[in-house]
Amino acid sequence: MPISTIGQSGLNAPITLTSPILTTPALGTPSALVLTNATGLPQAGLGTNVAGNGPIFSAYSSAGQTVSNNTITKILFDTENFDSNSNFASSRFTPTVAGYYVFTNSLSIANYSNTGTNEFGQYFFKNGSHASGDCVSTGQNSMFSISQGAGHNIFFNNTFGPVYANGSTDYFEIYLEQNTGGSRTVNATITAFSGFMVRSA
Amino acid sequence: MTLYEKIKTIYPELADSEFNLITGTIQLRNDSDGKGDYIAKWEHPTLPRPTEEQLA
Repeated sequence: MPISTIGQSGLNAPITLTSPILTTPALGTPSALVLTNATGLPQAGLGTNVAGNGPIFSAYSSAGQTVSNNTITKILFDTENFDSNSNFASSRFTPTVAGYYVFTNSLSIANYSNTGTNEFGQYFFKNGSHASGDCVSTGQNSMFSISQGAGHNIFFNNTFGPVYANGSTDYFEIYLEQNTGGSRTVNATITAFSGFMVRSA
Repeated sequence: MTLYEKIKTIYPELADSEFNLITGTIQLRNDSDGKGDYIAKWEHPTLPRPTEEQLA
């Protein structure tokens, strides 16, 4: 029976109130709540120190790699520190969750002796094409300075993003270019690539 | 001999800047997939792309 029905008329038709007063029942506070199918939870509804749990990875090169002069070369990161969603393979990150991602990359080049102006390009590639990155020249105002004629390990660090990934086909890689006049070796261990999702699509 | 060295042998007048990814007209690339160096782009205004025979 509808809650607004209060009786029967002589014609067997229900008599109803036009404006029934409804009182919200006291449900109490649940001790636990699972939001498996909940939507529309605002950012402000998140508790303190709560972070997202989107894909995140970190990998590094465990062996030195040779990069030829004036040849844009993909850098290999053969060892994973972690890869939460199994999206990193063959030195390529292909997130299976659509959203916005931030990447970081550090590169170290061994025993570099600067004999003039040389350029190093540290590039982020998206889907096989240059998406962002720096090209620095050692003989100009740049991110670093190197003493002439001395052998050094040099180090680059770069950040890319936030950048959108469609969660299916988009993928990301690191490439290096150098024109020191000969092949160069990328140092192991401190040459690393990492990334994580900062916002869902 | 690398692909770059072969190209420089054919065209010694080419400057390093021609191979820069951002500003150059030529891109040599290696995807580290075991297939080696290859020409990903050749848009030089006057010099024609080297043939396979020249690069062999």
